[in-house]
Amino acid sequence: MKKLMLAVTAASSVWIATPAWAQNAMATSASPTVLGHSLYKAFGEKAGLVRLVDDFMVRLLADPRTGLHFKPANQEHVKTQLVDQFCAVTGGPCVYKGADMKSSHSNLDITKSDFNALVEVLQFSMDAQGIPFSTQNKLLAQLAPMHRDVITVGN
Amino acid sequence: MKNTLSILALASLSVCTFQAQADTGKLLLTGGVSSIDGAAGGGLTPWAVIGSNATSGEMGVSAFVTRTKTQDYALTGYGAAVGIHDRVEVSLARQDFDASTAVALNGIAPFGVAQSQHIKMDILGVKVKVAGDTVLDSDSLMPQIAVGLEYKTVSPGSLDSVLNFLGTKQSGTDLYVSATKLFLAQSLLVNGTLRYTNANQNGLLGFGSGAPGKDDRTLVPEFSVAYLINKNWAVGAEYRVKPNNLEALGRAAGLGDALAEDDWKDLFVAWAPNKNTSLTLAYVDLGRVVPGITGSRKQTGYYLSAQLAF
Repeated sequence: MKKLMLAVTAASSVWIATPAWAQNAMATSASPTVLGHSLYKAFGEKAGLVRLVDDFMVRLLADPRTGLHFKPANQEHVKTQLVDQFCAVTGGPCVYKGADMKSSHSNLDITKSDFNALVEVLQFSMDAQGIPFSTQNKLLAQLAPMHRDVITVGN
Repeated sequence: MKNTLSILALASLSVCTFQAQADTGKLLLTGGVSSIDGAAGGGLTPWAVIGSNATSGEMGVSAFVTRTKTQDYALTGYGAAVGIHDRVEVSLARQDFDASTAVALNGIAPFGVAQSQHIKMDILGVKVKVAGDTVLDSDSLMPQIAVGLEYKTVSPGSLDSVLNFLGTKQSGTDLYVSATKLFLAQSLLVNGTLRYTNANQNGLLGFGSGAPGKDDRTLVPEFSVAYLINKNWAVGAEYRVKPNNLEALGRAAGLGDALAEDDWKDLFVAWAPNKNTSLTLAYVDLGRVVPGITGSRKQTGYYLSAQLAF
């Protein structure tokens, strides 16, 4: 879980590394190419994502399920990475240049419960930012497939 | 079956105790609600989801009570399910079907049907997830797939003579495969289930039929679709095809369509105020249910179900 946020931040690199044929197969989850910039705009562009991620980190630290994993982290760095990643997967003009997600998690114990807890905290943050549920799900659809690389225990 | 019920009750208790120490981590509503047969799913049909809030490496439990009332019949059901590692689900349910209307059968033949007769049915369900992830595989069309069985035993009371006349058996096993997919970006959940069954009215009128009715199991499809309005509310519809085993027997006996069985449909709204509680209200259309004693009218009405899950 410690590097769950790194996993999340690495998402955009995975996205970019995804072959074109696979990206076509992702049409069901409304890929950035399909969305254009509309999802990025729905999240309030860069400023909106910064607000969202600031709130997200506060909640991650406060939630007993996720707090212990994020307290030792360089939180400012993680937040910057998250903003870049959310920006990229929502179709914004950002590129993530972080570490590969799979290798960065292979030595960590991250359960599906940990992963789901983070998703729930993100939902609370998106609620607090007034992002409509259907818009929230479009972002979650971009992030959810990361479970394959992030969850290392019992997936 | 009573022993099995007590075993499940004990198992539920032990899981509840376990819960005091470890939270379960499934996302809200992704364990489905409890179907009338006890398996996690929609209201009338099982889904590929594994019941309870338990995800990988966890154990969880859910319990439900359901009430359905139509023009001529009523059904009360209750039961519990245990979810193991989000992989295996074991469920038990008991149905109490108010068949008071069936006293009219005494006018067709001296069946000796008692006043206010109820039919009781116990259902033991086992479901195993075999592939996929309903929620998280949002970049592919691959659904979550599960296979399951429902072993049902029916206690018809004084309607025993009627079930014997129809040549139906009083126990049977449904086998099914379900595929469930949440199209996350669209907030839309779709389920398809293929059931291999010879149950009449889900088993309440026994299993199979005397000739020339259908005695063997056949494959029947069931469909559910649900739109997630927000974290707490979902609306949807279900359609369950029924095998209609008995109609041919009724026709051969000169009773016309008196024993016809129609498909089941419903429109539902589900409310989950928190991770542990859900309420489902539906309008159900069960079609004709033994039309020979109900003036051939369709059985429509409400369905209300409450579930606790941990």
